[in-house]
Amino acid sequence: MTAINKDKEKDSADNAAVSVDSVSKAFAARLVLDNISLGVAQGQSVCVCGVNGAGKSTLLRIIAGLMQPDAGSVRLCGHNIRTNPEKAKPQLGVISHKSMVYPDLTVFENLSFFANLYGVKDSAARVDELLEDVGLSSYRYDRATILSRGLLQRLAIARALVHRPIVLLADEPFTGLDAEACQHLISVLANFTDNGGTTVMTTHDINIGMKCCDRVVVLDRTRLIFDAMMCDIDTISFTQDYLSYARNKN
Amino acid sequence: MKYFWLSFKAIFVKDIVTELRAKQVLPTMIVLGMLIVWILRIASEAATKVAPESPPLIGAAALWIALLFSGLLAQEKSFATEHQQDCIYGLLLAPVDAATIYLAKLLVNVVMLCIFELIIVPVVIVFFQLIVPDRWFTLIAVLMLGNIGISAVGTLFSAIVQLRGSLLSIVVLVILMPMMIPATSALMMLFAPSHSALVPVSSFASAIKYMIAFDAVFVTACWLLFGFAIKE
Amino acid sequence: MRRILLCLAFTLVLLSMWMALTLGRIEGPSANPDSVVRNILYAHVPSAICALLCFAVLLVASIGYLWTSKPKWDRLAAASAEVGAIFATILNATGMIFSRAEWGPWWTPSARLITSAILWFLYIVYLILRTASLPGSQHRRAQICAVFGIIAFLDAPMVYISARLIPDIHRPNFSFGSSWQRVTFVLGMVATLLLGAVLIWLRTEILKNKARLEKE
Repeated sequence: MTAINKDKEKDSADNAAVSVDSVSKAFAARLVLDNISLGVAQGQSVCVCGVNGAGKSTLLRIIAGLMQPDAGSVRLCGHNIRTNPEKAKPQLGVISHKSMVYPDLTVFENLSFFANLYGVKDSAARVDELLEDVGLSSYRYDRATILSRGLLQRLAIARALVHRPIVLLADEPFTGLDAEACQHLISVLANFTDNGGTTVMTTHDINIGMKCCDRVVVLDRTRLIFDAMMCDIDTISFTQDYLSYARNKN
Repeated sequence: MKYFWLSFKAIFVKDIVTELRAKQVLPTMIVLGMLIVWILRIASEAATKVAPESPPLIGAAALWIALLFSGLLAQEKSFATEHQQDCIYGLLLAPVDAATIYLAKLLVNVVMLCIFELIIVPVVIVFFQLIVPDRWFTLIAVLMLGNIGISAVGTLFSAIVQLRGSLLSIVVLVILMPMMIPATSALMMLFAPSHSALVPVSSFASAIKYMIAFDAVFVTACWLLFGFAIKE
Repeated sequence: MRRILLCLAFTLVLLSMWMALTLGRIEGPSANPDSVVRNILYAHVPSAICALLCFAVLLVASIGYLWTSKPKWDRLAAASAEVGAIFATILNATGMIFSRAEWGPWWTPSARLITSAILWFLYIVYLILRTASLPGSQHRRAQICAVFGIIAFLDAPMVYISARLIPDIHRPNFSFGSSWQRVTFVLGMVATLLLGAVLIWLRTEILKNKARLEKE
């Protein structure tokens, strides 16, 4: 990519919803992330783009606390996810392309289970509210196995939001969704951001990324090579640049 | 700590409901157990002709063997469901301690073995012509100690998703081997009190004490190491 | 340095073997006094001690790896498991030969024999875990082996205690006849321990070089 603005948002670490400090990770002898730093302010939605194998999922897993970085730290709302998981983890919700719901439990049972895991008070009321929000009320007593991919994704969204997190991580969430399901997810993400939530999303589809988010970051092998707010860039030329960059990479 | 009881109960109930609803594990366990008992009964037929007092002794061994293999089956399945749809990540993302997950899963596996025993113990008593011990409370205690030991080690290793099938079996069985000596002896003494002289470990008290010690050591050790088993 | 120690270890082993058969020779049983078989004890007992020590090294290495995730601990664990397995094999083999010559049967379920057998099994299962093609990264495999290593180490004393519950019919009763035998025994012990330590060291070096080559 040529002549791209590198406008880094400098947020004070304490105010940032997500604060990635000098994170590095290597698998066997291969360096995947090299000294990555990223600060995401409250209410921002960031799209992390990159070609396959760029390290997007690894970065997201490290932010979620599922993987330990070789160096550096991650803080969610000021709490270090490794040393203070009891405070950090309840702030976080994760959506991935796998639904992470139990196939043999009903929709209601699945959500109640996760509500209990997070210690949500009045879990039954909360679950009902969520089912309304995602449009799954009529499937309340149906087992998760019978749900279609789109409905399963709605259940996954409900699962991610059951404990009212402040930060939402989405790892390639649009994979395998039809147009209607995509639309629904986009509206959920928009709603989440409107209510003050912070989103970090990874995708290799730059168009959807730009639609949903107000900040774009490109991860290339081990480094962040691009970081700018959507309002500061010209969408068309950026898309062209990105696509030719992606073509060169493959 | 504030999440402990609620999440412990949630995981326990979720697992029990899943197992009962799927109706895969219990029937397979029971059939496997019965087949093992049946095979051992037939295989030991010659021995019982030579030594008429041997059925209770062989019966005790048959019961433990059935418990071991069926237990392994249940434990492997209990984590297999977690790895479908990446559900294990759902658990890891929550502010739940790995130790809580271990205790909940341990209890689930113990309960599954108990349900299994309700069916298999009468089968063994019938096939091997055992006398029903008067001290049936002691029998339950011995079986529970065995269940806890088998589940403690099995839960730890079946959480490691990379260990499947026969690899999981050899790992768990080699660790459980030492418990088999006092466990079998204890059951033999219960089923055949008149033949105590033939039993390898002749003191019932020391067999029980050993099983308690084994359970204490391994529940603690596996509990502490469980974090390494489920996370990378 | 390595070569010197290795030569020294082998020399000591050969020396102790020579001494066992000459100066420190143990007489055969009264039925067959010329039998040399009892001298196998000089190999049997040090192998037992060495196998147990290798297990202790395995424990330390496993804990070290889980604590620090540094590959050097994993390499140490692999090396000590391999060397320990060799000694456990020698232990069981010499034990069975001795048992056959002394009492008749190749194997009886006595405390020590059961413990040696399960020790061998624990090592073998560990090695199988090491070499099995487990899905996942190198780190994950090292972690799994480390977890098993720690549990296996806790298992070993449990084996011994449980086997001790069985009344032992054949409890080997041995005392040193002459001072030469004592010397031979100590020499054999030193030789075996040195050999074990050198082998672990060498093996760790080989694994380290292998890892370095793979990086490049």
